[in-house]
Amino acid sequence: MAFAFKVVNREKKIEECTPLFEEDKYKKQREELLKLLEPLKEATETGLIVDEDKCVGCANCIVVCPVHVAEDPNGAGIGRGPTIENPILRLENGVVKVVNMHLCRRYGKNRILCVACRENCPSDAISFLEG
Amino acid sequence: MFTCPGCSCLCDDIVVKTEDGKISVRNACRRGAGIFLNHNLSRAKPKVNGKETDFDDALEKARELIQQSKSLAIYGLDTTTLEAQKLAIELAEKKEAFIDDNSSFCLGDFVEMILKGELPTATFDDVRDYAYVIVYWGVDPYHSLSRHLSRFSYYPRGKKRQRGYEEDRFLVVIDVRRTHTAMLCKKNAKFFQVRDDLELINAFNQVLDGKAPSIFPQDIPRVVKEMEKSDFNVIFGGLGLKYGLKGNYDMFKEFMGKLNARTNVYFIPAGCHPNMRGFNELMFEKTGSVNKYSFKDGKSSNDFAFYNLLKNDLIDTALVIGTDPLNSLPFEYAKKLAKINTIVVDPRVSFTSEIADVVLPSAISGVESGGTMVRADGVRVELKPVFEREINDEFILKKLLEVV
Repeated sequence: MAFAFKVVNREKKIEECTPLFEEDKYKKQREELLKLLEPLKEATETGLIVDEDKCVGCANCIVVCPVHVAEDPNGAGIGRGPTIENPILRLENGVVKVVNMHLCRRYGKNRILCVACRENCPSDAISFLEG
Repeated sequence: MFTCPGCSCLCDDIVVKTEDGKISVRNACRRGAGIFLNHNLSRAKPKVNGKETDFDDALEKARELIQQSKSLAIYGLDTTTLEAQKLAIELAEKKEAFIDDNSSFCLGDFVEMILKGELPTATFDDVRDYAYVIVYWGVDPYHSLSRHLSRFSYYPRGKKRQRGYEEDRFLVVIDVRRTHTAMLCKKNAKFFQVRDDLELINAFNQVLDGKAPSIFPQDIPRVVKEMEKSDFNVIFGGLGLKYGLKGNYDMFKEFMGKLNARTNVYFIPAGCHPNMRGFNELMFEKTGSVNKYSFKDGKSSNDFAFYNLLKNDLIDTALVIGTDPLNSLPFEYAKKLAKINTIVVDPRVSFTSEIADVVLPSAISGVESGGTMVRADGVRVELKPVFEREINDEFILKKLLEVV
């Protein structure tokens, strides 16, 4: 399981599992695994996936974000558009866009599995790899 | 920073940039951003009797129709500025015409009660800073006023509400179905799925009288108890509440009075048109009524609502400004616009502009022309244009006023 977690966290690549790619008897498993890992391509470093088609631009995710509240108390903290240079999320052309994942509490080794943005998105425009 | 004229929130933190002819919009919701991004799409062209002509000819024809009209109605105006609305009211007064806007079937009744001082009200800034229990009644702001919750009510931190929505707010959603807004009711929140709003008001009244409620026996006492915890609570009422009350406004006012005897509960209409309240306030200042007014009869009446004027064949000319009655009113009545003289002032092509005798293309208020609008809570907001267009509603109405 350790290798699987590392693959999901992008510390390892699935291609590094040599038997899977070198031995023909694992062909079926390899195809299924690659299919399973397809969402990883769209997800950000923290596992956040934004479905822009579902987003109406309510900005709930931007205002509830605890990092935005701490870093931008007079902008996103009080409901306005973010006033800091590189917020985590921002409304661009009517839908939410990921701008700077490095600020997110889910980023890096000492991450916190915060789901505030997803919890307050009623149309499921925001989701995480872990579900 | 620009102000978005997309809905009655009038968000004033919009950033619009144009680079190499490409527009980008920050901080606006999908609806708001669309207004800026697509401002050049489906633009109306000057027309007389369905044929394209130049603007001056169309304007001359409109002036002629207004001059000849014996019974004129001016309708729409909710998406234009206060300055243009003032001119339209002046035109109606001088012409002894009927004047009405969408509020006659939208939230005009609530605005009138507020302006008369019959319902206590507050501003969005107060809501953000102080409100604890926030009730959305018969409205789904997630779709109709997308940034309402994040900008003004449930999610932002305020002076006395610094611990965020999980601890410092209590959300109540009342609706006939589980809407997207209702899905936000999780911790410290309650969703009431109702069949009859009057039944729910009765149940609340029972609790306020110290009796057990006939429905929601646990939840209603809890909401009342939560309201008593704070000295600032707010009800945002939408169209669902208006039609749910079935005209029993006295019952609602009595209920609000009872609630306010216990704690402070304010009421703010949650309507959609950006400057509907502005029109209502101007009309109230001038006439004491908010809409469906006849300057000939000197009074407001249901008979003077635009759809009733059409239904009862009471007008020979309609001046439709910034709205599309053929789309929004029952077709049975709206189709009569094709039989009378119809002048449409609109930035975009609409169903009504297709059947109109005269079409006068105008600027999009708040995007291509500046002015003032009134937010749903009664606060006046200045709008400055992002792009420039010389011919706007104000210009057209000034020209039309010259002939009366």
